[in-house]
Amino acid sequence: MSLVKINIGPVHPSTHGLLRLVVTLDGDTIVNVEPHVGFLHRGVEKLAENRMYMQIPPFIEKCDYVAKTAMDEAYVATVEAAMGIEPNERAQYERVILLELQRIASHLLWLGAMLNDLGHFFSVFMWTFADRDKVLKLLEEATGQRMFYVNMRLGGLRQEFPKDFEYHVLDVLAYLEKRINEYESFIENSSLFKERMYKVGVLSRDDAINLGVSGPVLRASGVNFDVRKDKPYYVYKKLNFKPIVLYNGDNFSRYKVRILEIKESIRLIREAFKQMPDGNATGMPIKLINPAPKNKVVRVSREGPRGEIMFYLVADEQRPYRLAMRTPAFINLAALNHIAKGNKFANLFPIIGSLDLVMADVDK
Amino acid sequence: MIIDRKDLIDTISSFKKKGFSYLVKILGIDYIDYISVLYILRNLDSDEEIEIEVHLNQNDLWVPTIINIFKGADWYERELYEMFGIEIKGRKVRKLLLEKFSENIYPLRKSFKWGTK
Repeated sequence: MSLVKINIGPVHPSTHGLLRLVVTLDGDTIVNVEPHVGFLHRGVEKLAENRMYMQIPPFIEKCDYVAKTAMDEAYVATVEAAMGIEPNERAQYERVILLELQRIASHLLWLGAMLNDLGHFFSVFMWTFADRDKVLKLLEEATGQRMFYVNMRLGGLRQEFPKDFEYHVLDVLAYLEKRINEYESFIENSSLFKERMYKVGVLSRDDAINLGVSGPVLRASGVNFDVRKDKPYYVYKKLNFKPIVLYNGDNFSRYKVRILEIKESIRLIREAFKQMPDGNATGMPIKLINPAPKNKVVRVSREGPRGEIMFYLVADEQRPYRLAMRTPAFINLAALNHIAKGNKFANLFPIIGSLDLVMADVDK
Repeated sequence: MIIDRKDLIDTISSFKKKGFSYLVKILGIDYIDYISVLYILRNLDSDEEIEIEVHLNQNDLWVPTIINIFKGADWYERELYEMFGIEIKGRKVRKLLLEKFSENIYPLRKSFKWGTK
């Protein structure tokens, strides 16, 4: 049979942003997928060379508009490393709590969107969206903003957690724990779900390493690497954190890794609140920043919800000389062709969904 | 470690054999006198990382492709080609992010000023 080429996107409900795919099909089987990206390219790396250090977080956050704090924190931690500042212990705990809350919010949105991609589950999207909103309310309470927080300051946060914040968080976590168990039990029993998830889009361990994917996609293929465990930062060492690793490398494993990560995050936040010492977590006001040492080179890795975020900074006094970013969705999308080859066309969108793409993150 | 361009393939494949099997990132930095290309590799067992650096003269911008060693290098190399105009020898590279809208524009070079076209 002759090969057929199909163009999908750039505007398409299942591509999670502006992503164009040119798919070559043999009958119903995918022979090749060629992603065309760049519709959201803003030149963040160049822009960063033209802004002062603390002018950068507001737009670096938008590189991952689903997990804002993760980007923001990774960037600020890079600047801190260049300037030799270390946040105090309370600030470290507070950052970990915000990061883990952000991870839960991001995974909840992913869960709804992914099930929507399967074509049958729009109500789940509504439910997870409502649950995510509860987490966003907490983040709003802590930071003052609902979506883009710009909450990290050198050496701490812009503001302390409000009074009673702990109790509000614990309430929501108890609720979420119940909800996640509910989701798991009824989603996984659906035959439609099983058909699209089990043994679909398999990525073997060796290929996952060779392709350089990161985060849940890497861990679903049986690679035990999590920046929080292997290159621990902040107080993750004290929190007795265990990375979630599964071995099948299919859509289901990628789904399950994220579900288990939500549960692990819930546990981490509870533990962090128990251990958190008193003190003041407020960081430096933006106006009081000293110049950074010239030509200092730092590299900082963080485990974001989508995978490894890495910043490589060559410092100048007032602004970065060069700020290079490793954004996780960029390289996870690059692996799409390899994962999707040989699958049926109907399974393409579940596979894209399982990669958890954010196009602003890919296009930079 | 800074190495010569002609040793790049050998060095990277020897590190891969030693267990540095994960390519974290390829990035370029324009130091005006030269452009530096960095390959960051990681050993997933011991969590060690290594930076392999190549300095390129501004008149002679090319690096050999490492796509036969790391498949994940594909998009990084395309980005490098597009943002710095560094030719990738050994493969045909198509532009990635800006595609056809950027003839002879290399945005991450220092000679390209922000706000110009």
